[in-house]
Order: sequence, then C-alpha cells, then structure tokens
Amino acid sequence: MEVAVTAVGVLCAAGANPQSLLERLEEGKTALRSHPPLAALPGGDLAGVVEKLDLDRVLLRKKDKKLLARPSALALAAAGGLVARWPGDRAELGLFLGVGREPPDDGESEATLAGAARAGELDEDLLAGPGRDLYPPLLPLKTLPNMALAHISINLGLMGENGAWAGFEGAGLMALRAGIRAVAEGRSPAVLAGAAESQVDLGSARDRLRAGASGPPGEAAALLLLEPLDVALDRGAEVLGTLSACSVEDVGVQSDISEILGDCGAANSVLRVVLALMRGESTVVVAADPGLPPLAVAVRPGLPC
Amino acid sequence: MGGTMNAQWIRNDGRPRVVITGLGAITPHGQGVEAAWRGVVGGRSTIGPITRFDARSFPVRFAAEAPDPGLSEELPEGLSPLAQDLKGRLSVAAAREALNQARLPAKMGRRLGVCVGSEAARPELSLVAARLRSGELPSQSELERMAPHAASRLVAGMAGALGPQSTVSTACTSSSQAIGEGLLRIRRGEADAMLVGGVDVLVDPIMVVGFAKLGALSTRNEDPTRASRPFDLHRDGFVLGEGAGFLVIETLEHAMRRAAPILAELSGFGCSCNAWRITDSPPDGRGAAQSMELALRDAGLEAEDIGYVNAHGTSTPMNDTSEARGILRALGDHGSRVPVSSTKSTTGHLVAACGAVEAIFCVNAVRDGVLPPSAHIEHPDPTCPLTLVRDEAQRVDLRHALTNAFGFGGSNGSLVISRMEA
Repeated sequence: MEVAVTAVGVLCAAGANPQSLLERLEEGKTALRSHPPLAALPGGDLAGVVEKLDLDRVLLRKKDKKLLARPSALALAAAGGLVARWPGDRAELGLFLGVGREPPDDGESEATLAGAARAGELDEDLLAGPGRDLYPPLLPLKTLPNMALAHISINLGLMGENGAWAGFEGAGLMALRAGIRAVAEGRSPAVLAGAAESQVDLGSARDRLRAGASGPPGEAAALLLLEPLDVALDRGAEVLGTLSACSVEDVGVQSDISEILGDCGAANSVLRVVLALMRGESTVVVAADPGLPPLAVAVRPGLPC
Repeated sequence: MGGTMNAQWIRNDGRPRVVITGLGAITPHGQGVEAAWRGVVGGRSTIGPITRFDARSFPVRFAAEAPDPGLSEELPEGLSPLAQDLKGRLSVAAAREALNQARLPAKMGRRLGVCVGSEAARPELSLVAARLRSGELPSQSELERMAPHAASRLVAGMAGALGPQSTVSTACTSSSQAIGEGLLRIRRGEADAMLVGGVDVLVDPIMVVGFAKLGALSTRNEDPTRASRPFDLHRDGFVLGEGAGFLVIETLEHAMRRAAPILAELSGFGCSCNAWRITDSPPDGRGAAQSMELALRDAGLEAEDIGYVNAHGTSTPMNDTSEARGILRALGDHGSRVPVSSTKSTTGHLVAACGAVEAIFCVNAVRDGVLPPSAHIEHPDPTCPLTLVRDEAQRVDLRHALTNAFGFGGSNGSLVISRMEA
C-alpha cells in the first residue's frame, strides 16, 4: 500500500507554514535572530526562535497553557491545522512523534533549587521544606517527553495507535517511519507523524555547547498527515507526495536547514522531508544519531506515475 | 532464513509467530527474574523507608528501591560512561540475564535489534549541587549518560545488536510500547530477534518532591509496607519504585531452528491515547478499553480467552477505577469474572520499566499456571467490581494473560502473553 502525504503542518523560525520555510531557504535569508536569554553563552545569542505561537484556536482549556512546555506548544500548534484536513473520525487517527530530549522546564525548577541551596550546596531539608513550596506542582508532568503527544491527543481528540521516540535527529524519522508503517499495514486509517523539539532555552543551549554542537540552536515542529494513497485519491484530497520507510543505501541530496533555522533537534529530519515535498524533489532523507544505525525515508513528491 | 517452512511458525493471518526466549529483571524484590517472581507470588511487600537520601523531612519517606547490582562485566569500548549510574547498571544486569537465558547466536549483527522504554536521565543531585556551586557545565560523560537513548545504546552495544534501535518515551507506558514495537519489527522482517524492555530510577529527592506535590504518591508514612494497595477502597496514591526488565523476543521459526528454550508466545499488542486530561484518567476507561480491545484483536482472541489480567493498578484513586471500567468495557461480562491483580502492590510503580517487568510476570504466570496476588486489599473498592486475586496466589490452567500499562498524559499499552502450546 502506498502512503500519501495530504497535509503538512510546520512551525519554525521561518514562519508558520511550509511555504514560508521554502521561501526563506530559496532566498537564502536566515531566520536566526538575537535571543537575549542566550547572551551569556560563549556561542553567541543567535537562535532560530518561533516568534508567534497562537494556541487559542486549539487549546480546549485555556488554563492548560501553563502545562505546555515549549515543544508541546509547538507540536500542538502545528497539529491544529492538520486534523481539520482529515474528514474521518479523529478518534481513529494515530499519532507518532519524535520528541528528541526531555523538554526544558523553562527555568521553573530553578526557584526550587535556589530555595533549597545553603552556601551553594543543595540541602535536602531545605528541598523538602521551602524548596518544595516553590516547586510548581505540575512540573513533573510538563517535562515528560510524551507530553507533546498527550496535548495533541487531549486537545484534538486523537485516540489511535501512538508512540513517542526520544533521541536526536533520528527520533523524527523514527516517528515518521512508524507512522508510514501503521498506515501501510492497515493498523491506522490515517496518522499524524513528525517531530517537535525546542533547544533555545538556556539549559538546552548550554548542553549543546558542551556536547560540541556547532551552530545556533533552534526550535520547530513539523507534522504530516499520512493516509493510504487510494483513500486520499478517492476522497479528492490534495496529494503532496508519497513516503516510504526505506534502507539508507540510496541517500539523496540533503538540504541544510540549520543555517536558516538553527538546530531543531528531532524536527530537523522531518523538516527535510517537508522541504523535499515542497520543492518537488524525489530523494531519500537520512538521519544518523551518534552510535545508532541510520534511518531513511524515501520521498516522492506529487502523484505516482 | 533458509530451510523447510513449518506451518506452525505462521499465524492464521499469515504473520510470523513471535515467542519469548529470554527474561531478565532487577526489581525491588532483588536481582533476577526468579527473585521477583517469588516475591510477587508470595505477596511480599518491598516497600520501605527511602535509603538513597535522607528523606526524614520529606512528605513521603518511603519507596520501593531496587538493589544496585554493580557492574560485573567488561563493556565494549565507549560504553562504560553509560553504565556509571544506577540506571545504566540496572539496564546492563537485566539485559545480561535475558541474553544469557536466550543464548542467541553470536554475531546476529543486523538481525538483532533493540527497543528500550526509558525517560531521559536526570542529573544526580550531587551534580546539580556542584553546578550550583561553581556554575560549571555538565561533563561530556554526564551528557552521554543523560542522552535519551543512552540505555538503548548501552544494551545494544553489550548484545552486539546492529539492527533497528529505538527509545520509546511514553512515561509509564514506555516499556509496554517498546515490547509492542519489537513485536511489529519482527513481524515485518526487520529483525529475527529483538531485545526489548525498559528501565527507570525515580527514587530521587526532586522526583519525590515533585510527585508528592502533584498529589500522586501515597503518604502512608506510618505503614509503608501496605501503602501500595491497588483496588482497595482506601488507596491513596502510588509508591515510587525503580528497576529494569528485558525480554528477548524472536520469531518462532528462528527459535525452533536453533532449539532455543521457548518460554511463552507474545501474541498481541495494542495501544491508544485517552484524549482526556493530563492529570486524570477518563472515568469511563475508554482509552484503556481501546488498548485492550486492539491487543485482543491483534492476538486473534476473544475476551473469554483471557484467563488473567495483570492490571496497571497503580493504587491511585482515579487510575484503578478508570482501569476497572476499561476492563469491563473491553471484556464485557467476562471482565467481571476474569481474575485480576496488580503486582505493583508489592513492587511499587517502576514507571518506564513497569510494562516490561509485568510482562515478565505474565510469562511466568502462563508457564507455571500461577496468578500472583494483589496484596493489601482490605476493603475492595465497589467502584472496581472485578474478580481480584487477593492475598494469596492462585493456581489455574492459564493459556492467555493480558497486561496493561497506562501512562501520564494518557498513553496506553496492552500486551497478550500466551502459553506456548506444543
């Protein structure tokens, strides 16, 4: 069974749709900008930050906004427009996400740690006392890696097969491949698959530097609506292309997006898939995390012959 | 794989049968699967005062700690930094036990894969303190150890696995889904065998503070051994535990061709989302029910075929009622008759590792025909109208067991483990 891409949701420093990403790349204009929280870092304060993040359309309960770590917010915003393109029962939609590393806590635990420090040392009695009082009660849930998946499920009503994969760039392709297979094997009538990650907070940016990463950090969410090609054609959906999980033997030309957007972690590889679709390039997108076997997804834009 | 095909190797739906040939665990009951099994069958609580740090001033002062197995083997080059913390050592010990039992052929290379359920590691408090003091950056080895895929890299390296490798992070459902992913990969021919499982270590001051503040933990400080009491009317939260569980799964064909010991069949997997709330379970148990229904369908079984349900059963007021309703919804009338227990009553909640460890208990349940009890039920909760295995283990003729794992945020996973029929 061939698996079609019938909608794409992108949120990155270049904008809130795939066209703006493509335009940026073709113009060669960077979307990186000064990000003051990183000013103290030796690597400089440039970052690929998403400027506008509108969740009001998609958030069922406004008070849940405080539960959203940055990757969850990016993923939810990117998914919002996609599910509207699916005419079937949302409860049957599958959801496969590359979530990269543990989400940053936006500095929320720092008050706890500061409140629990005595002469620069953490003190367990203080942690259990004043530190505890300062600890945001929902923080453990905010920073679980699967929370982006949870917020999409809750706010958009998805109940189907699912998974969240941790890692680096490879996590995005891992999720995409799992989504492709869930559709191809008939386990899900359609899925949202992709990745979301944010590395523009001070802690993540520091860890990147220490790990030897070069280039500025970024953040993005990129999700694709996948469904069987024959079903998509029957319902008259626009088919942007077809995808398949493939081997890495035939590697295509890889777009370098990090100069434009910064390093978006797990979302890097999915953004490359989106770009290939937008540019009409048949290619094989590969991601290889350190120490892990490489992964690949074959992209064939447009309708198959 | 060449040679003559055997009809027994293929299911009625044309997919290959997948079996379990190796088990390994470190749980609060001790090191090794048999120690854990004896503990849960005996209904012996492992919950006691926290010893990992001075918890006397904490709102919750007890947990289910796993023994530190140390590191008794030399690891391949480059992997040692990943085994420097307890999480790494638990992973190595449990994976080694599973690999030793399975006796996989050497040099399976790309035909052996790994899938681990795990959260990213959190820095130890001493490291956090050091950073507070000096503002220093984390070391390279600390970053490697805290990488989200550190555990899968570690066990893949020690197993010599060059096939598919992934890390599933869906909170308490992680290792259940990791096993499910391994099953799917083998069925579609990506590997002949997979090392699957999970690990978690959460008995740490910040986690205890965080989950206590959330109101998720039992505060029964005066009676910790009986604090985890799933399905009891007076349950008041879960008990943090820690441990690791790994299984070797492979096609029946691969196992039979190499005359491997076959422990049970991994016959079904299902997963779903609740689409409900971050902190709550849906009162009607709908997401849980969907997960169980999909696992049954995947196994080609009817509700009446299930002879035992190893419940997620966390001992939180909301989870247990929601799960009970999910069981009744998924299994219909049979749901109120099938024996159910939660082994978390003695092990505490192993979070990302619980799905794997409880799947291992189901393997032993179908092997021995023994159902481990749910301990500490004094007053069964009427909102959970199930047939609970209470106080003592039961002997039964068990062919198929269903095990559930449900995570924060509403990710659900269910597995069907079946007795290997000759």
